[in-house]
Amino acid sequence: MKQILRITVGLTVSCLIAAFIMGAVFTVTDKRKKHNEHLNVQETMLGLLGYSKKNPPPGDLKFHRIYRYIVEDGKSKYLGYMVPVEEGGKEDYQLVLIGLKGDFVSSYKLSIAPEKAEEAVEREAAINQVLKPPKTFTYADAVIVAERGGKRVAYLLPGEFPGFKTFITVMLALDPGFKILGLEIMEQEEDPGLGAEISQEYFKNQFKDKSFKKMKEIKVVKEPLPDEYRRFLERKKWKEGMFTREEIERIRSKYQDHDIYALTGATISSKSVTRGVKNMVKKFAYRIKILDGVIASRKLAVAF
Amino acid sequence: MPVTKKTNAQLFFNGILNENPIFRLALSMCPAVGISTSLMNGLLLGIAVLFVQVASSCTIAAIKDYIHPRIRIPTYTLTIATWVTVIDLSLAAFVPEAYKAMGIFVKLIVAFAIITMRLEMFAAKNPVVPSFWDGLGMGLGFTFGMMTLGFVRELLGAGTLFGHDVLGTRPLLFFILPAAGFFCVGFIMAIFNYVELVFNRIKKKS
Repeated sequence: MKQILRITVGLTVSCLIAAFIMGAVFTVTDKRKKHNEHLNVQETMLGLLGYSKKNPPPGDLKFHRIYRYIVEDGKSKYLGYMVPVEEGGKEDYQLVLIGLKGDFVSSYKLSIAPEKAEEAVEREAAINQVLKPPKTFTYADAVIVAERGGKRVAYLLPGEFPGFKTFITVMLALDPGFKILGLEIMEQEEDPGLGAEISQEYFKNQFKDKSFKKMKEIKVVKEPLPDEYRRFLERKKWKEGMFTREEIERIRSKYQDHDIYALTGATISSKSVTRGVKNMVKKFAYRIKILDGVIASRKLAVAF
Repeated sequence: MPVTKKTNAQLFFNGILNENPIFRLALSMCPAVGISTSLMNGLLLGIAVLFVQVASSCTIAAIKDYIHPRIRIPTYTLTIATWVTVIDLSLAAFVPEAYKAMGIFVKLIVAFAIITMRLEMFAAKNPVVPSFWDGLGMGLGFTFGMMTLGFVRELLGAGTLFGHDVLGTRPLLFFILPAAGFFCVGFIMAIFNYVELVFNRIKKKS
């Protein structure tokens, strides 16, 4: 009995000490970690649009975030889009409720500062002010619209889908016609050397330039990646002038409508990413069309 | 094993050659086989293990008198987990560049046999300073083993080293796959044993 007691106390104490240390480190590092992640996302967004430190983005490039919520009111379900609107040069957020068939239900003005809208807690507080119970809401996803001089340049979609081992987090860039501008793997825990190769240029760049029509029916093929295509996909690594402009065009058009080449030894990871990206593009194209329809019919002064 | 009589330098080299974690002790085979697909992966995992091993060895050596012998294994795991979390969080916060490359490896370490085994066999019986050298030697030995495997497998499997094209072709893709990891470990282990055999024979003659 005495033994058991000593063991229990010993284990509890060591767990508590460990928890205390981890908690302390977490509190110290959390803010910086979030900050770094934020910077990373920002950099990725610009990178997907083709901007870097050498090629800085133009000053009039703006990002607008749209947040999608699922709103439930008893038995009926709505989609709640939190969209930025511009009124008299000031950016504000509005919550637009849309029925599942794409019909406008209602809209609410939200009192939230645009710079605070990136915080999930702040958003929830603002929505709670307008949506009274029994209405409940859950966060679904977000879209970032890149705008330049009043025109939409690109959509940036953060997304998550199951991979071989755990979830894969990605950022996908689409042009206004839903052609893929680029894919970036943000977080993944696939097997190093096999599935983890999804974050290599020669895999993720295969998605670049795929049209919406192609993406709707894209598949994974188990064929070896042709050498010239691989060099083309990884051309950032090579010296400039390795490919002439004509050659780039030739290879681009040759493989533009080709399916995705699977990674050797990681077919499941390749398929998961392809399926995930395909679903993201299809669903997004469907949703944004509905949202745009409502925006046009209601004459909402959206900021994007 | 009573308190060690070896000097610090002996402890250090012990981990790299005589008791190399991969080739002599045959510990932590899972990561050795699974991750040593390229030189870079081997190096990164090796560095991650090195840090956790040294930190955990020192901690256990320092607090060993307060651990009830019945709960020593959970305590070891807890110590390793704490250090892994601390290193993971600190890397993410202060060196985001390194975290991008190493984050995935650091999280893997908690269940590594080599670290627990070294805590049980050495750090739990020795003072802090020898434990530090033992941990350092073991960590470097693991790094050395991983890099040797990574070198062979990347060169033969992908024709590259550190991601740079060396051979221009991919001679044997098989070497990238997990099964080939066992072959490589086996071959290199055999070389180690053979060298030891020859070495001992020379010693006897003289």
